[in-house]
Amino acid sequence: MYKIVVTGGSRGLGLGIAVRLVEAGYEVIAIARKSTKELVAAQEVANRDTPRLHFRAFDLSDIDGIAALVKQLRAEFGKVYGLVNNAAVGTSGILSNARVEQIQSQIQLNTVSPIVLSKFLLRSMMAGGGGRIVNVSSIVGFTGYSGLSVYSATKAAMIGFTKSLAREVGQLGITVNSVAPGFLDTEMTSEMEQSHKDTIARRSALRRMPEVIDVANAVEFLMGEKARNITGIVLTVDAGNTV
Amino acid sequence: MTVRSTILSEIYKIAVAQKRDISTLHDDLPLMDSGFDSLCFAVLVAHLEDDLGLDPFSSAEEIEFPVTLGDFIALYENAART
Repeated sequence: MYKIVVTGGSRGLGLGIAVRLVEAGYEVIAIARKSTKELVAAQEVANRDTPRLHFRAFDLSDIDGIAALVKQLRAEFGKVYGLVNNAAVGTSGILSNARVEQIQSQIQLNTVSPIVLSKFLLRSMMAGGGGRIVNVSSIVGFTGYSGLSVYSATKAAMIGFTKSLAREVGQLGITVNSVAPGFLDTEMTSEMEQSHKDTIARRSALRRMPEVIDVANAVEFLMGEKARNITGIVLTVDAGNTV
Repeated sequence: MTVRSTILSEIYKIAVAQKRDISTLHDDLPLMDSGFDSLCFAVLVAHLEDDLGLDPFSSAEEIEFPVTLGDFIALYENAART
């Protein structure tokens, strides 16, 4: 059974992706700082017969610890086939008021950490003769959004990373793609006013906001055999908000 | 299998898998002239980490990439000893 690492897999979109991948037949290792009651509930369902949804606690902002984390995962789970780089922090605010440390930590977690994790997990895919990386970007990485300049910069960075890495490892049978969700109704957008969400829905071609399951389905598609000839793309899942 | 024979065996396997024509392997062979590109060496390092449990390039010290095949093998043999 293919093993997939999902970062930020304890809640929100990451948990939705982890659950969808388990349902699709993968064995998933969710990485996050701490577990949640939602994850525990999902594990109870997923692990009823055999363990399929695992959790390992790790703070992904600890860049120096990532090599040891991957070593531990390899020892425990063997070869890892896929990686979903989902963990991110979405601090909003006017750039001129942001603290420098806040900017640095956001870039560290949203960009440096997934790149370093990919570097180490790629080895498992290289040795295994193939693999999948799916980077969770965002539509704000190419449309922009007031108050999300740093977050948008990190999400745009993931698109450049996706395209270059896809070219680098394609000949080894490893695909690298991005998904770019529109605004989702998750904890990350909990501070957004309902009227704002209504406006986003009204301005979208489908007159609604996408849901976690829509993005999770896109990730599952890119992870699967049906996407074997798709690499270096950005799959936008935004209910037509950016068309 | 010794460290040396493991490395040589992996080089031959990767050459076949990646469809590379490689030079006759000997200790003085410059890696640049081996027929492997940097990606092939990355694959080799990944396989050797699995086979030998060693990755001299991820150690704390900064390591220059070896120049010859003999240097490459010696790097792994030294790592196996420590």
